[in-house]
Amino acid sequence: MPEAYLTQSPRTAWRVYDGEAAVLCPDDSTLNSLNAVGTLIWESADGKTAVSAIVARICEEFDVDPERAERDTMAFIAKLRERGLLTVSETLQQAP
Amino acid sequence: MAELSIGIAGLRTAVITRDPDVATVVRDRYEGFLSTGPADWRIEISPPSGGVPFSKDVVVRRDGGPARFSVRRHDFAGTVDVSERTADLTLTSPDDVSINSFLRILYSLALVETRGLVVHAASLVRDGAAYLFCGPSGSGKTTVARLSTDATLLSDELSIVRIAEGYAMCFGTPFRGELALAGEDRAAPLIGIYFLHHGGRHAVEALGPKEALARLLPNVLFFAREADVTAAVFRIAADLVEAVPCFDLSFRPDPGFWEVIRNA
Repeated sequence: MPEAYLTQSPRTAWRVYDGEAAVLCPDDSTLNSLNAVGTLIWESADGKTAVSAIVARICEEFDVDPERAERDTMAFIAKLRERGLLTVSETLQQAP
Repeated sequence: MAELSIGIAGLRTAVITRDPDVATVVRDRYEGFLSTGPADWRIEISPPSGGVPFSKDVVVRRDGGPARFSVRRHDFAGTVDVSERTADLTLTSPDDVSINSFLRILYSLALVETRGLVVHAASLVRDGAAYLFCGPSGSGKTTVARLSTDATLLSDELSIVRIAEGYAMCFGTPFRGELALAGEDRAAPLIGIYFLHHGGRHAVEALGPKEALARLLPNVLFFAREADVTAAVFRIAADLVEAVPCFDLSFRPDPGFWEVIRNA
């Protein structure tokens, strides 16, 4: 599978409270409340961190087996992408 | 040509109109908030016209520039230019509800640059400190205001909060609810935000900022849907819940809720 890189939509606004992010969806103004794992993925969506590296970090920090971590991460990314919160690219993204 | 000045939450707005009926409505409706001195904003209200574009719901959208918004409803149409600090308004009739609705929208846009929000909330001042009671219709805003006979009413429906470096001020508004009373034109430091609901007993429970933010945002009056202004509102709301303690407040209709607030 080719490597993928996540980038937060510049149209979102967000804050992290006690390790959990609250992310505002720009299109419908809904607030997305992320748990600690979701927040790790969200904060890593900088256009430069590979998804494989994010999954490795989740395995390390949350004691999850790699297969499950990858499955859950991909499902979570799909959800955020559907809501317009992030984009997925196969190439490294430049800093804005 | 009549020119009247309305001051709400530290923003003074000059209302200019040729229509004597509109001038009378403004003078009567905003009696406690008429002010003098240089205006921050200027609204020109045109005489009623039958040609106002119809829109069933409130529509606020960017129009002709990043700081210019068109505002429409079934009974009015206007524009708001945030950078010029000007607005124009055409009404279908010189009605105080129409003028008041436009003014609410204007202030919701104008306050963003001064880090302020219009919130669906009753607000009251007791012993020099302001308390915000936040919630949708039916949550008890007017009931709380009605039960607080020893407090100063800032609003029983729409309150204005402005945030500065780590503290917040709450302002009286003329935007009234079921109590049919305008708030007083004064400000006080905001020391608590209470998310209201009716219950069998009085109970206060502290909320973390994430939960408080999720509860506050649906109560912020804001109609523009552009991502950048929505994000600015989000940041003000987030700063607010970080600066001011927030609570869930269950209450029954008697003034005893003040006791649990005091003891929280």
